[in-house]
Amino acid sequence: MQLFLQRVIDGLTNGSAYALVAVALVLIFKATTLINFAQGEQAMLGAFFALQLWMWGVPMWGAVIISMILSALLAALIERTLIRPFDPSDHLPLVIVTLGLFLGINALAGLIWRFDPWRFPELFPSGVAFSIGGANVTWYAVCTVLSAIVILGSLQLLLSRTKIGLAFRAVSSNLESSQLVGIRVGPTLQFGWALAAAVGTLGASIYVANPVLSIEPTVMLTVLVFAASAAALGGLDSLWGALAGGLGIGFIQSLLVQYAPFIPTELSLLTAVVVLLVVLFFRPAGFFGTAAVERV
Amino acid sequence: MAARIITAGSTEHRNYKLIVGGLGVLAFILFAFAYIDTASLEIAGNKYNLSIIRVNKAIAFAIAILGLQVIVGYTGQLALGQSFFFGMGAYITAWLVADHSWPYLLTLIVVVPACFIVGMILGIPALRVKGLYLALITLGLAAVFPSLVKLDALSDYTNGAGGKSVSESKLIPPGWLGGGVDAPRGTISNLDRFAEFLQTFPVVGGFFGDGPLSSREEERMWKLILLTLMLVACCWLVSNLIQSRPGRAMRAVRDNETGAAVSGINLASTKTLAFGVASALGGVGGTAYVMEVGIASPDDFAQVIAILFIVGLVVGGVGTISGAIVGAFVIVFVPDWSSSTQELPIVPERWLQGPTGSLILGAGLILLTFVLPGGIVAAYRRLKARFIQIVPGVPTMPSMAAAAEAAIDTTGVDTPTAQEPTGV
Repeated sequence: MQLFLQRVIDGLTNGSAYALVAVALVLIFKATTLINFAQGEQAMLGAFFALQLWMWGVPMWGAVIISMILSALLAALIERTLIRPFDPSDHLPLVIVTLGLFLGINALAGLIWRFDPWRFPELFPSGVAFSIGGANVTWYAVCTVLSAIVILGSLQLLLSRTKIGLAFRAVSSNLESSQLVGIRVGPTLQFGWALAAAVGTLGASIYVANPVLSIEPTVMLTVLVFAASAAALGGLDSLWGALAGGLGIGFIQSLLVQYAPFIPTELSLLTAVVVLLVVLFFRPAGFFGTAAVERV
Repeated sequence: MAARIITAGSTEHRNYKLIVGGLGVLAFILFAFAYIDTASLEIAGNKYNLSIIRVNKAIAFAIAILGLQVIVGYTGQLALGQSFFFGMGAYITAWLVADHSWPYLLTLIVVVPACFIVGMILGIPALRVKGLYLALITLGLAAVFPSLVKLDALSDYTNGAGGKSVSESKLIPPGWLGGGVDAPRGTISNLDRFAEFLQTFPVVGGFFGDGPLSSREEERMWKLILLTLMLVACCWLVSNLIQSRPGRAMRAVRDNETGAAVSGINLASTKTLAFGVASALGGVGGTAYVMEVGIASPDDFAQVIAILFIVGLVVGGVGTISGAIVGAFVIVFVPDWSSSTQELPIVPERWLQGPTGSLILGAGLILLTFVLPGGIVAAYRRLKARFIQIVPGVPTMPSMAAAAEAAIDTTGVDTPTAQEPTGV
């Protein structure tokens, strides 16, 4: 029982970090029906910004917030220069651009920070917060889950209570109609990209702040697979679905490793891909997403 | 200067094809003998390898990218995880050769059906899952492959993280060509005779090394010959496939899926076939890779290789057969040469050490989608059309002449990627 609880807590912790990256994917997908394959790398770059700022003497949380702003600006620039010129319904060029970004950003980070693991400073107090049934819940776990919920809540508020949020929802529900009622579609989508990059950066920073992990340019490669799987599980256009999916994927991963000895640890990535495959095959809209209706 | 217009099928066209083809083969042979020893070019203080080893690797990549051409370029399905099948073919070959002493080429009779079937099975979700979702799943599969072969349960076959190495090379040239298996040292083989013949030329003879070839060089040459033949066979098969009925169905699916279905094309079987063929080609590429490298190790088939294949696909030209070859050479030589560049004026040294090649490829990929969506092959075709244009001949039947005239008008010069491949 104690072991089970411990695994559940670990799963929830990892799942919250996946959920934040998944939310970033969902934000872009909602706006543009594009899956940004470079999302993980953008988030990794943002986390490295934070690390670099911290090494220059900026206080930790200040560094994370500045790097969130920086990566939001970078994403807005990327959207304007590399994404907007293409026809959003033609997927191949957009996939190619995001894969080019993936390769380029990864190489850039490798050039600047080298492929060595760096110790990321702890964002949350260390030590054990409390224990339930013999299982220890660290402050890191508590704060990670809480920050995922807080971020989701504030995104929800932003999208439902502000004018730009309204514009964003209008654009994601019907691009042409929102254009007709006078919404400036381009800047709205740009806002979506910037928001996604900021959330992704926070997610990556929290993920690598885990005391047992370190940051290196390849750290987000697998996280992106988990996050994409989480986003698909929740429905690619549902924010709270991304949280549920992230927690679900974290859960499955953590329990399988413990209770299915025939599935070795290295294969936890495969479970994410299988979940992705099963979800897209049987329920392409995920559990909370809206089913796409296509007119031919 | 007005372009010279050649009618397809005329004597002139035949001569043109013979001359271009002959020059190509001659250049290839001369290149092979000139760079059989790991020769290098020296530009601005940096040494750039041109060796056969890298060419062989590029040929293996070209076969895999050819598979991507079938599924992405001709069928329009975003199945991007080609490294999965590349790795699968490589491991099957390594396992059969190392543990069961099969000859390399014979392993193809296992690799091709195995990859074909697995590809078809993995392609089944693609009948429901479209576009970006498919890209997501296939890239996920590509990410999984290294951890799959590192599994303890499979370590008898794959040798875990260390990689499956083929300790003993079985690629010794046959007796009529090279030294043969039992030939004593110093035997003059036909390859040696040819190399020495090239060396006798005045002025240029020096490029072709000195004296007979070493056994290592002969082996390398034999690998080059075998791999080139494999590549040519694959190109020929794919080009036939594309021009046949199933190939036309694939292109119809790419251009307008609904329209294709309405015209009576069975979408499910067409897509499944494309998946199977693409995966089988990926497997053949993997076999070729092991033939050259002699080891299948997990990290050679990581997700980043799948992305490199896509780079090759796009840089060469989506939907062209020759694009696969051009793209493969780009993805082999750009990283290699950028890591051999130790010093450059202006650029600080720090930026030259590390994954500079990937940065160039990533940036180049994005740039190319903007300025040259058809890739290098499209640029070459556009350039060539300024000098030589090949137009379809006018049929002799008078009633068809008008139709042919119309065809000439539409067979434009720079038709984008959807153009039929004109040879390799």
